[in-house]
Amino acid sequence: MEREVIQSVGFRNIKKDGNVTGFQFKIRLPYYRGIFLSQLRPGTLFVDGERFEKEDIIWNIHGEDYTYEEMKSNFQTHWDVTTPAVLKVKKSGGLVQGFHDLKYGFCFTSSYMPPVMQDSLNPDEEAFIFMPEFGHHVNERRLLIV
Amino acid sequence: MYQYDRKGPKRGVALYSYSAEFGLTKSLEECFEDLHDMGAHGIEILANTHIENYPNPTDEWVEKWFRLCDKYEIVPVEYGNWIDSHVLGYRDLTTEESYEMLARDIRLAHRLGFTVMRTKMPVINDALEPVKNWREIIKMALPLAEELGIKMCPEIHTPSNLKGKMVTDYVDFIKETGTKNFGLNIDFSVFRTEFSEGEYRDPNYTPNVPEDLIPLLPYIYCCHAKFINMSDEFEETTIPYKEIIELLKKQNWDGYLLSEYEGADKYDPGYEVGQTLRKHHIMMKNYIGD
Repeated sequence: MEREVIQSVGFRNIKKDGNVTGFQFKIRLPYYRGIFLSQLRPGTLFVDGERFEKEDIIWNIHGEDYTYEEMKSNFQTHWDVTTPAVLKVKKSGGLVQGFHDLKYGFCFTSSYMPPVMQDSLNPDEEAFIFMPEFGHHVNERRLLIV
Repeated sequence: MYQYDRKGPKRGVALYSYSAEFGLTKSLEECFEDLHDMGAHGIEILANTHIENYPNPTDEWVEKWFRLCDKYEIVPVEYGNWIDSHVLGYRDLTTEESYEMLARDIRLAHRLGFTVMRTKMPVINDALEPVKNWREIIKMALPLAEELGIKMCPEIHTPSNLKGKMVTDYVDFIKETGTKNFGLNIDFSVFRTEFSEGEYRDPNYTPNVPEDLIPLLPYIYCCHAKFINMSDEFEETTIPYKEIIELLKKQNWDGYLLSEYEGADKYDPGYEVGQTLRKHHIMMKNYIGD
């Protein structure tokens, strides 16, 4: 696994019955501990400037697919820091060959922290004080599709 | 078990390319998935690097190996081994001892599903010629290799020339024995024409042209797709790749081209060899057609 949040391994188009239906990429949890899915606050994805909403992105944790709605109420399934999540994005035809600029925002709750920090959590914006053990909310990476 | 049935040249990756990352930021499974991202099916491993508990892997590890091959649609193509008859400092290994070392690797390669071995031997001069008893060692191993369907191939790379003595010696040996279990791995460094200014160039090196491959094709069972520099337009700037692949297609050569990257920059912090390999595979995919 890499230090970067968006991983270079696992970025590819998704094929279904011979047709390319979308693409996927992996992110690691840049926290010092794991979280339950309901703690996640998924944000917005931009690929080469094209916007994908949180409702349109499936999270795959330990081999299981979860929608944004399903994760909201799931406080039993745990995402560990050592296993990246796979994010699957619907896009007919997928991404074209060559370079792509990815920018993705997400964060997670930590209810043991002072309320002032929790109240302003926004997956698409950085926290007002950056604490590296929580990672950046928004991460970018430029990766190639073959 | 996953099979990739395409005829003609096919693409793959030699895990040697990940030498700065393997065991640190990439596990064996991450290397497999990296190949899968590229749509590459062929793989080359190094016996002494990628087999856990080499030379005696557990049955559990071998099971895991095949599980990974299935999951990521990987075909075990080439198994890199060394017959190191200079492994002792005070004497050479006997032919018998060298054979035993080789036979152990043939069995292991077969157990992991490989069909080609890239066999390296100690060299005795600057022309990179192998130890004097190489013929005896290989001859002794031919029946086992034949039984297990393994083709042993020394690697031909710069500064060796495709028309040079070493290649001729190997081809003579193949003709003399009539064996189908010994052949050549050609590393594309033998076609390199472009060097940057001030870069060291071996005085014994003369570039081959792709046509030089033609008489050797019946004996070539695998190639190292060596590459030096990929442009952002996904072209290799030092080796005539387009011509080489066109020739291999036209001659109906059926085998794998395995990306081998050995630029020293892969050890620089922050270097992303996976992205370099993806550039190489965009090019190969476009020339090969899959």
